[in-house]
Amino acid sequence: MRAEVLNILLIARRDLARFWRYKYWLAGQVAMNLADILIFGLIFNGVVNRQLIPDYVRFVTPGILCLSLFISSFSIGREVGVELRREVTHYLLTLPVRRESLIIGRLLGGALRGLMYQAGFLLFATIILTVPTPRGWAYILPTSFLVALTMSSISISLSTVTRDFNLQATIRSLTYYMLFFVSNIFYPQAVIALRLGPLAPIVNYSPLTMATNIYRWAFQYDVSIDPLYNFIGLTLWSAIIAILAYRLYIRNLLRD
Amino acid sequence: MLEVARNVLRVVEWDLMKLRRQKAFIAMRTAWFVIQSLVFGYAISRLARPDIGVDYYNFYLLGLYSALLYSASIARAYVIADEFDDGIIDYHLSLPVKRSILAIGRVLGGSISTLAFTIPMMMFILLLIGRIDLPSLLISVASAFAFSTGVVSFVVLVVMKLKSTDTTDIFFGTIDAILVRLSSIFYPLPIIKAIGIEAYYYSALMNPLTHFADFLRALLIPGYTLTQFSPVESLFYVLGLSLGLLVVAIELFEKKLEAGGVK
Repeated sequence: MRAEVLNILLIARRDLARFWRYKYWLAGQVAMNLADILIFGLIFNGVVNRQLIPDYVRFVTPGILCLSLFISSFSIGREVGVELRREVTHYLLTLPVRRESLIIGRLLGGALRGLMYQAGFLLFATIILTVPTPRGWAYILPTSFLVALTMSSISISLSTVTRDFNLQATIRSLTYYMLFFVSNIFYPQAVIALRLGPLAPIVNYSPLTMATNIYRWAFQYDVSIDPLYNFIGLTLWSAIIAILAYRLYIRNLLRD
Repeated sequence: MLEVARNVLRVVEWDLMKLRRQKAFIAMRTAWFVIQSLVFGYAISRLARPDIGVDYYNFYLLGLYSALLYSASIARAYVIADEFDDGIIDYHLSLPVKRSILAIGRVLGGSISTLAFTIPMMMFILLLIGRIDLPSLLISVASAFAFSTGVVSFVVLVVMKLKSTDTTDIFFGTIDAILVRLSSIFYPLPIIKAIGIEAYYYSALMNPLTHFADFLRALLIPGYTLTQFSPVESLFYVLGLSLGLLVVAIELFEKKLEAGGVK
């Protein structure tokens, strides 16, 4: 058992170490996320009807925390895709590590990437919004871990579906749109109701809506939100997605 | 001359044939585009103030098409990078075709297949904004072709330099996102100007995406004035940039590209 845990940590550490190899990419991503908060927020303050959202920067900041997790955790999916095309997976399968440990290690590595990348943005959110209470942090940290795990699970499993580079990039983009646009990150539910009508509540069941709700509550943007309900929902989502990703990855790893 | 044209066409066919094979990609992208226009575009436009000087839904739709055309043109990078990985570029270089012809053929092939892929979506957008007349359609298609040619030339140029799927993915993923943000794709230029960040405003002003999107808006939205350049100036900017990048791409293909690397 202890040996397996060590193996998992070793695999996760390898993925974490590789994360820093892409310094320019990381710098570009950080710049983009900051641009999302500052420029996108500032501009939309000039576009958005203030009766709907009084301060768009404050509204969008909790969502950007999710976005930062998506970008960093998804980087591992891109690497898994490259490994698959270059058949590095054969080498990975010959390692003296149980396949279950290999996969859990990779999912964990992706999640840790997300957490490390998001740390700076959490600090940024405390400046733009407010410093959370200890109870707020008690929700923020596990929420970040669950979202990071969910994102790395989705990205790894989707990257193994096809070896076509173009299709991989397309799936990645579509996943981004599906996750972020079918949520309350960029607009409140009242606005979605204008178009989707009775179907609008579907947005409430999105994992990213739940995570954003927790962040909005913890950073005291909207204290009327029930964090426990959202956290339970997010936990269920993460468990389901991680299990499905695990099964898909192991199936595709062993496929010729 | 006829032989040259025939050779160019043969190379163009290569890209069109590849597009025909990407059924899953086309289906996914088209379905998503329709949902994005009808549902999320509409939702975002309901957020907009009524006094920004344009119906934001129409503004967004044309921005969305511009972003799609740009991203689809950028996606040629993945196709060419894959060819590098598979050694197909080496095979192309061994063909009895002049390299300049190969370069022109690849760029035109890339832009024509991108256009073929996006024209149905353009028609859909024109239908949504109520401007489905032949002159508007023809001018839109011609400008989209010019713009796409420029982007694909840039893509060919960069991929031939990088020669790595991994680096290509990272580079274009970043460039794609940055250029869309630094443009008037989703927000009007006067609003970018109003936030008072000079570097951002001038970056948006120089960005070809801004020129292309604003040209389409000036063409298709009656009375559209939220632009800093006349439509003719924007069109010439896009044309000039496209031709310039095409010439540089041909130059790289002809003089500097060898299978082992760029010397």
